[in-house]
Amino acid sequence: MIVLDPAHGGVDSGSQISETTVEKNVTLALAFRLRSLLTARGFSVVMTREEDASAVPNAAGSALTLDDRAGIANHAHAAACLVLHATRSGNGVHLYRSELEASEGQASLVPWLTAQAAWIPQSQHLESQMAAAFSRSGVGLVASTASVRPIDSLTCPALVVELAPSGDDADSINDTDYQQKVALALAGALVFWQNQVQPPARLSPPAIVAVGQATTSDAAGVQP
Amino acid sequence: MIQRHQRIVFWCLVVCILGMGVLLAVGRQRGRERIAALADDDQTPLDAPTAMAETVTLELANDADGSIAPASRQIALPEEPNARARALIDHLVAEYALPGSAHALPPGAAVAEVFLVPLPLVGYTTDSTSSATKDGGFRPTVPVGQTDPDPVQPKQLGGELAVIDLHSTFVNQHPSGVEVESLTLRSILGTLHANLPQIEQVRFLVDGQARETLAGHSDLLRTYPAADTTSGAGAANERQSN
Repeated sequence: MIVLDPAHGGVDSGSQISETTVEKNVTLALAFRLRSLLTARGFSVVMTREEDASAVPNAAGSALTLDDRAGIANHAHAAACLVLHATRSGNGVHLYRSELEASEGQASLVPWLTAQAAWIPQSQHLESQMAAAFSRSGVGLVASTASVRPIDSLTCPALVVELAPSGDDADSINDTDYQQKVALALAGALVFWQNQVQPPARLSPPAIVAVGQATTSDAAGVQP
Repeated sequence: MIQRHQRIVFWCLVVCILGMGVLLAVGRQRGRERIAALADDDQTPLDAPTAMAETVTLELANDADGSIAPASRQIALPEEPNARARALIDHLVAEYALPGSAHALPPGAAVAEVFLVPLPLVGYTTDSTSSATKDGGFRPTVPVGQTDPDPVQPKQLGGELAVIDLHSTFVNQHPSGVEVESLTLRSILGTLHANLPQIEQVRFLVDGQARETLAGHSDLLRTYPAADTTSGAGAANERQSN
């Protein structure tokens, strides 16, 4: 299972890439292209939106928030979650993982704003595989860390993939051959990745022993 | 009987006096509007630096390769730490507003104010002891740092949190994109760290209010660590190209 999150949508157009191109349309076009390639390779793909303005399920009219998108991704228990963005600055592809520091494992109670911390090693591994794939395909790459919601709340190996123009012309971002080249590199990296994903170790919950209840907790087998 | 040429001179003088009066009134009104506009934009000039120019390090971003590199500049800065931090960021943003900048940002004042707050951050509560009641029934406030289970702690003694209040005019005109927004924030964090090492953490406000993102991407709600953000620092940044 792969989750694709084409960022923005509806009234949130994202960045203005050129006079005729806005970010939300580029991210959706890239997501559709990538979904086709991944489905052809045997993946199940969940997209957080498949039209301009996606709504919350069973709540027509309510626009999808960033937290809703994270919720969709987390319920999918995906092998990888890709948050797709686009920009007119720079060239090639910009790849980002969360800025959170890696935690030792996943606690039983996961804080929403730092849920990604347990998955940082996996995200780093995925990032290095994608970097190798882009290097092979000849697409320029900048790899770094960034704090972009909702990536910190995702409980899966997660990356932000920001597509930039292939050259000086901002409209080159719409070039179908260029988008296909990027999507092929992403799909190829995910094929290698699918057998390597390992969920983080689960940390045992800390014992909470209230004064006067120690006997009850001991009897229930709570380990410190 | 007043002669004709004297009447002409008289009326010419009257017209000149009235004209000068109108010009004076218009000039005064324009001056007032200019001052009011300055007040609206809160472009209060910094205190004139009294110190000599000193060498500071600006960590400059480059959109082309997503890198940040240190650059030395000779700048006269105020002595007061809050004004010093604000002046550093203003100089940094002014550098980006120059023609041909590798990380083009809109010109104009970016920062309304910078507040340096000592760490750890502690909350305050009213003193509930009966002996603490002052005249009039008021109770004094006391810090609750000792009872806070998860206070924001400094890494070193004297560590500070910088709260940077950005102008909405700057934020609204900032280019949108993960890379360009992230570079702006990292550039500010790195510049503060390089020149004011007591700053350990940074929070951003926009016109005094919390705001979700800088220009639709980079998170402005979290607290950022002030650290060396140059491309050679750690493994945070790498570049590969064909």
